[in-house]
Amino acid sequence: MTAVVERPELEPADPAVLVVAPRARRLNPTLLAGLVLLGLLLLAAIFAPLLTPYGPTTQDLSNSLAPLGGKHLLGTDQLGRDTLSRLLYGARTDLRVGFLAVLFPFIIGSVLGLVIGYRGGLLDTLVMRLVDMVIAFPFYVLVIALVFVLGPGTRNIYIAITAVGWVAYCRIVRGEVLVAKQQEYALAARAGGVPTWRILLRHLLPNVIVQAVVYSMSDIVLSILAIVTLGYLGLGVPPPAPDWGSMIADGQQFLLDKWWLTTIPGVAVVITGLGLSLLGDGIVERVKQT
Amino acid sequence: MAYLAFIGRRMWQLLPVLFGITLVVFFMIHLIPGDPASTLLGNRSTPQAVAALRSQFGLDEPLYQQYLDFLGRVVRGDLGSSFVYKSPVRDLVQGRISATLWLLGMGALFSLLLSVPLAVLAASRKGGARDQAVRIVPLIGLGMPAVWVGLMLQLFFALKLGWFPVSGFGASFGEHVRSIVLPAITIAVALAPILVRSLRTSLLEVLDSDYVLTARAKGISRGRLLVRHALRNAAVSSVTVLGVNIAYLVGATVIVERVFALPGLGTLMLESIYSRDFPVVQGVVIVIAVLVVLVNLATDLAHASLDPRVGVEA
Amino acid sequence: MRRALGTLVALVLTVSACGGTTTSTAPTKNKPAKGGDLVIVKALDSKSMDNTTTFDNDSIWIFEQMMEPLYTVTEDGKGVKPWLATSYTLSPDKLNYTFKLRPGVKFTNGMPMTSADVKFSLDKAGATKGGWEFINTAIKSVAAPTPDTVVVTTKYPWAPLVADLSNFNNGIVPKDYAGMTSKAFYDHPVGTGPFKWDHWTKGSELKLVKNADYWQTGKPSLDSVTWKTVPDDNTRTLQLQGGQAQVNEFPPFSSLGQLKNSSTTQVTLFDSTKTDYLLFNHTTKPFNDVHARRAISLAIDRAAIIKSVLFGNGKPANSFMPPQVPYYDAATKGLQYDLTAAKDELAKSSTPNGFTATYLSAAGNVQDAAIAQILQGAVKPLGITIKIENVDPATARARQDKLDYQITHSSWTMDIADPDELVSFAVDPTTGAKSFYTGYSNKAVIAATHDAQKAFDPAARQAKYTFIQQQAADDAFMAFLYYSPYQWSYSKKVQGFLPYPTGNYHLEDVTLSK
Repeated sequence: MTAVVERPELEPADPAVLVVAPRARRLNPTLLAGLVLLGLLLLAAIFAPLLTPYGPTTQDLSNSLAPLGGKHLLGTDQLGRDTLSRLLYGARTDLRVGFLAVLFPFIIGSVLGLVIGYRGGLLDTLVMRLVDMVIAFPFYVLVIALVFVLGPGTRNIYIAITAVGWVAYCRIVRGEVLVAKQQEYALAARAGGVPTWRILLRHLLPNVIVQAVVYSMSDIVLSILAIVTLGYLGLGVPPPAPDWGSMIADGQQFLLDKWWLTTIPGVAVVITGLGLSLLGDGIVERVKQT
Repeated sequence: MAYLAFIGRRMWQLLPVLFGITLVVFFMIHLIPGDPASTLLGNRSTPQAVAALRSQFGLDEPLYQQYLDFLGRVVRGDLGSSFVYKSPVRDLVQGRISATLWLLGMGALFSLLLSVPLAVLAASRKGGARDQAVRIVPLIGLGMPAVWVGLMLQLFFALKLGWFPVSGFGASFGEHVRSIVLPAITIAVALAPILVRSLRTSLLEVLDSDYVLTARAKGISRGRLLVRHALRNAAVSSVTVLGVNIAYLVGATVIVERVFALPGLGTLMLESIYSRDFPVVQGVVIVIAVLVVLVNLATDLAHASLDPRVGVEA
Repeated sequence: MRRALGTLVALVLTVSACGGTTTSTAPTKNKPAKGGDLVIVKALDSKSMDNTTTFDNDSIWIFEQMMEPLYTVTEDGKGVKPWLATSYTLSPDKLNYTFKLRPGVKFTNGMPMTSADVKFSLDKAGATKGGWEFINTAIKSVAAPTPDTVVVTTKYPWAPLVADLSNFNNGIVPKDYAGMTSKAFYDHPVGTGPFKWDHWTKGSELKLVKNADYWQTGKPSLDSVTWKTVPDDNTRTLQLQGGQAQVNEFPPFSSLGQLKNSSTTQVTLFDSTKTDYLLFNHTTKPFNDVHARRAISLAIDRAAIIKSVLFGNGKPANSFMPPQVPYYDAATKGLQYDLTAAKDELAKSSTPNGFTATYLSAAGNVQDAAIAQILQGAVKPLGITIKIENVDPATARARQDKLDYQITHSSWTMDIADPDELVSFAVDPTTGAKSFYTGYSNKAVIAATHDAQKAFDPAARQAKYTFIQQQAADDAFMAFLYYSPYQWSYSKKVQGFLPYPTGNYHLEDVTLSK
């Protein structure tokens, strides 16, 4: 995603850093906090059926808009569905879609960045012009327009986010490759007649991918926010699948007297975002420690 | 002269980008299923009426011809005429651009007001409790959907406390200011965390640099140094970070405008995508893209003039 | 009015806004008084003042205050009454209508209204392309033999003619737009109505001021009317309560309960012609099978939908025609909730064990989403699985046009006081609307529709429309869901505010107490 490109505070790393760094075994507090938060969320998502007796799509029209407490701990929505169930099952939807939506741009962007960074030339120029173009489009404008073209639905959300998101990975990895390919080991490998693909995969990739991985953590946050925003616009995960964005959107009409309908799913998004941000930060710290 | 040459070169590089944008926006909007004529006619869209309206809009011509017409007009500075409002796109954009610029400006300002003091606070004692807090707390802001932040601000500051209007833009200068506060805070909540972190890093760099160490050796206090040297540095960093995130900022205004019902370019564009008002969508996207590109250029120039180490040759 | 899509877009979009700061004077006694500026807040801005080509209510209800037709709809929405004309006579061959124009009517530019203006207006209304010209299709020619007589000749005997002429697209404007281009004219229109043009700040407000020379002596009472665009429902509510506005258009049903408990404002539900339907695509399986359609229609608990979607503010529909339309038949036996009957009906169909179908839903429309999900739950006991396909409203609209769906949701409101507008649209595929985009085609019903258009005797027309309504219900060509009212909340200082079932309102009758 092109939104909020934050340069991770990271020096070009030795490829072995993540694997064998001896002093980095101890988890730093940031990383730990991130892991705990995300872990709890994952557990809640996995064990949703055990945590709540109600199905996320089971309607009870005679008991709609029930208040907090009572039989339904977090109340019910307009169709009498249990808010807690939708919240927990919503974690499944949003985490899955969030991770997958980042996976494809990560792969495509990184591979492209690797190749054009190493080869340079006309291909590099062309791809970078394309990158400039995508960046000149505000992120949401492009994603919303793409979802309109493709139609709402989970698969199309992946496509839309990928079409915009690869740019950031491409830029990050290309930048790293430009530096790394001048390093001695890369030059030596090339002089020694090692095939290009081998240089790319064995020597450069491990070295440059760390930056992309770190970026991907904040990118997952952004993609979850994007899904929530699309849900708010009615272009997100199709109903009746539980999703935090549509929960926020559905609750908006009751903002004046039933504030919890929008607040509860919002808090869930914030906790997820915080967990992922901490995780990203934690990884940076851990790499820097060495 | 160097500046002019720099601007000229950058403009030249922009041309293909802008051309690409016209291409993408034109074909993307025309690819969306749904037809402006039948959308406009709604339930009354008999095939005859749709055909008549399509021909009136020039939609019965081949697509490439429509694109060339569109491109020809854009080159002459003409963005065409809205299908829905039956008035020139330029007038619509003029009517809507001020709310967007207000939002962008105030959003950036609030982000700075929020992050500069925090960053100074954090950098003044590296690794301390305050530093840790400043590093962690804004992370919460990163995870908040603008949509939800907006709704919550409305709920508390507008509905419960009545300090600001729930939404809208007002008609006078005073009303604009009051109306824009909550939307601008919504933007600042997302942007400030990034700003704080970059500022903190660059402040720490300055404080550890040789000339600062020398100054300290001469007995100038860390606090005074922070204020003296840090401010200039903070300005450079802020400009860069804001510039890098301008596209994000503009994108966020689309959402924030919708939540707060601001009559800006973002709402105009969303509304026009929904009604398939092709000329308006194309016009607004081009205006936004030019805006983004110009801000980026301005950022580079400001960066260069604030920080002598950055040359315009780069 | 008119357009499901308009409503969808209204729900989906927020346009632009204004936060007025007009402070209201302290309320004393609620005595009708002269003068005052009435402020109406609504969600969407107007699009255009061109009464012949504009389709959204946010424009129509405003330009109706300036441009008036020869006849107008009555309060109950079921008939027409003389307006700029005083009477008409029909020739024995039922082809020539001769209208007498009201004497002493002046345009707001000071010129008197004559038959030449009427001829120009009607000719122009029938000649638009992609506008409301279909309302005028039966008109062959318009003549102006004397300054105060107009003769309208129809192509064939056509009972709905006077109702057609009462539609806003036949509103009277000065001949040749008083020398202006059409565009310049509609930028600040001139008519005979109670209010005249003041200004329009697009995206925020439109203001009309009193026409002091209005032909109804003593009216209007108001000095001016300002429509302000305030997209947020909550803000509109607050503005009304704070006295910055006097009328709030369509507060959401979910907020009505709360609004009713106010000492300064009131909520009124006016009869409307709004009717909501589930559309079946008869060109796809299994919806070509009457039993499958009937099964679904029988499985829908309309009372439950009304409770969840309208918060109780509606009535189950028994006919595709709403009660406020002339010739509506309350005795029509429409299908109502009966799960046992639904199961029996499905057993008789070609898919006795159920099937899977896709519901085309308009993204971002809270009501549509709720209906889709309730339907999903309702037909589950029959073994029918409904998948919801969410697309943006314009795409949904386009796919309905092309019959590219299986089940979807749509609604209707009337513009004129004659059932033909709806009936020929809904059950006569020869009009081009594919029978309300369902592909329904029943020869007997189509023939009855054509007969009714030529029947001038009310009893004969009633017989035709009764037959059509019952047959359409038996065929379950759509599932009729509910009739809903127009909900308005307004200050207790406002008197005489009365939206008609067709949606329009006459602001010359409104007074504002100090």
